[in-house]
Amino acid sequence: MDKVTTVKIAGPAGTGIKSAGLLLAKMLTESGYNFKDYSEYPSLVRGGHNTYQVSFSSGEVYSVHKMVDIFVSLVPGHWQEHQEEFGKNTLIFADNEGKNNIPFGKMCEQLGGTIYSNTISLGLISFLLDLDKNKNTKILKEYFGSDSVNIKAFEVGWQWGENNYRQKVKSQKSKVKKEKMIVDGNEAVGWGLVKAGLDMFVAYPMTPATGVLHFLAKNQDEFKIKVIHPEDEIAVASIASGASMAGSRSAVGTSGGGFALMTETISFDAMAELGVVYFLSQRPGPATGMPTWTSQGDLLFAVHSGHGEFTKAVVAPGDVEEAFELGKKSLNLANEFDIPVIMLSDKNLSESSANVRDLAKEKKEIVESKKVIPGKKMTIKMYNSYEHDEEGYSIEDSQNTLKMVEARLKKEKAVLKKMPKVNLFGSNKAKKIIVSWGSTKGAILEALKEMKNKEDYAFMQIRGLWPIDPKIGQIINAFKERILIENNATAQLGTLLKSQMKVDFEKVILKYDGRPFFPEEIKKFLI
Amino acid sequence: MINNWKSKVTPTWCPGCQDYVIFAGLQNTLNKLDLDQDKTVIVYDIGCIGNMADFVKGWGIHSLHGRSIPTAVGVKMANPELNVIAIGGDGGIYGEGLSHLIAAARLNIDLTVIVANNQLYSLTTGQSSPTTPKGSKTKSTPKGVESVPVTPIELIKAVNPEALAQRVNCNEPLKVNEAIEKAIKHKGFDLLDLNQLCVSFGKQLR
Repeated sequence: MDKVTTVKIAGPAGTGIKSAGLLLAKMLTESGYNFKDYSEYPSLVRGGHNTYQVSFSSGEVYSVHKMVDIFVSLVPGHWQEHQEEFGKNTLIFADNEGKNNIPFGKMCEQLGGTIYSNTISLGLISFLLDLDKNKNTKILKEYFGSDSVNIKAFEVGWQWGENNYRQKVKSQKSKVKKEKMIVDGNEAVGWGLVKAGLDMFVAYPMTPATGVLHFLAKNQDEFKIKVIHPEDEIAVASIASGASMAGSRSAVGTSGGGFALMTETISFDAMAELGVVYFLSQRPGPATGMPTWTSQGDLLFAVHSGHGEFTKAVVAPGDVEEAFELGKKSLNLANEFDIPVIMLSDKNLSESSANVRDLAKEKKEIVESKKVIPGKKMTIKMYNSYEHDEEGYSIEDSQNTLKMVEARLKKEKAVLKKMPKVNLFGSNKAKKIIVSWGSTKGAILEALKEMKNKEDYAFMQIRGLWPIDPKIGQIINAFKERILIENNATAQLGTLLKSQMKVDFEKVILKYDGRPFFPEEIKKFLI
Repeated sequence: MINNWKSKVTPTWCPGCQDYVIFAGLQNTLNKLDLDQDKTVIVYDIGCIGNMADFVKGWGIHSLHGRSIPTAVGVKMANPELNVIAIGGDGGIYGEGLSHLIAAARLNIDLTVIVANNQLYSLTTGQSSPTTPKGSKTKSTPKGVESVPVTPIELIKAVNPEALAQRVNCNEPLKVNEAIEKAIKHKGFDLLDLNQLCVSFGKQLR
């Protein structure tokens, strides 16, 4: 099996950890590695404690590891709280703190500035990992400009590594990898929406969903879309619905708090039969909660969102590639059935990157809405939030009410046929089945990859959460032991499955401290 | 004159309601200006005046309470060739959806907003609204309204001096017609505040 190597950089906000992460991801990609990354940061602009970590391999890597091989503290005081992530071979670099002392302060002084520690550390890491120096220098020149002091800083870090560390960190050399596009979950969702013919994206900034807004706003001319940031989330959803009536394929993005404000519009979309995609990237609640951390705590909220009884769809991608696929799927479902579609992500998926195939080159797949729209000489219609007849006139008689309620609910059967199927990994002859959804996919697959008795386990990742396929229960029940894994405190998928089919779990593994699962933790739980 | 804008549904407003003045004024103006019916979308709020959704024949959205403006903004942004009009009452436009009114005025989007301002929530049988005079006793404020009323024209002028903000009393139907025409012809954001008195619950304001 191909070895996985993990590097982590830590320091206060404002020391360039994010750009160091971005550059390191590029460098690893250029050297032909697969990678997954993850960053932690508090909700502030300067100070605090930020980290970037990346796990890479010449083979498949599904999630970052908790245990690190190389750790760099950009300024003193940022390694101490990570001691449980260190093994006996971990190289820990810090400025004059009794570890591997790298004099970042002095080096920066000589370079004539204060914020070069990030680039110096990239030089050191590149040396230790035996990455291609010329390629990396080229990446830096493209990013900073060829006369930037950062080019010198990289050289300083590399030299220091060469002078002080003859031994390199062992990692298998990789063949050249073709898949070189680096995207995070949010950008992948953006690409997915665009490739399903997105016309309009509306959002009010809310971490961790804001990345979609930034990505689509920046590229709106190239994508030929409209991107709008209005006064609040209620306006966001209302604008998207109005646009849908006028023929726009529209989507919105938010997190739990913003989604709460949008639920009246989800109900409106169902009644007026307007397709809109609601991208909901979860963070820990209730209320403002922990804005920059991760959670799967809004599953049942999404499934039950909107007053009244109607058909909606809820889907959840598990990784960056699926964020793209289901981004496409969501917009097509919304338009094919003229219903609200909720796509669930979380901080762990939204803000973590991977290298994937070039999504820009993917073909567009567009399923058109059959509804009538103004300006095209179609039959005139009123899109009504009141109960109405087929022309859209308000009407409250018993016969019509029954007909319309049933027509809205009947869509569910047709939607179910088009929902994303479950992913079933491993053999259905395995003794045990792990059931989960969303971004836990990576850590579970990574854990199973490394387990000696991996043949004992199958893993079901449910991607279509509502409407949910009742056959899922039969598949799960065919296994002797059933294990549920969720990144929340109340096992919401478990509740959903129990309410819809007869399923019980022998073991429930939950994590709800704002951190994602790491593969090491899952292995430990399973043993 | 042939009227293309009247639906099959008979209006359900109270006899003597000044919403009929607005309804007639809108139809007259749409006919006079000969707007392309296929390229005209009216977005209605919730409330007595919002019920006009059923009485007008044309493309429309009967949206949620307070949300007629952002919904109309979405229609206009999706297809700028459409003529878009939002119609609501003082409760929806100046209360539940006030922030949307301000945002649309600041955006100066080419949108006409018509408000039937009777200083009351009438469809819900007569509670105080954002424009109810201070001290008025209503069903929800038996001890008198404590807030000072919203002054819509001044509000719009404060956030966007370029916007057209008109105020006309429904007692003068010809002026209502003229104001609607001026509003629809105006490029950019415009608000038409149509002052009226509720025939069923307006007595509380005396």
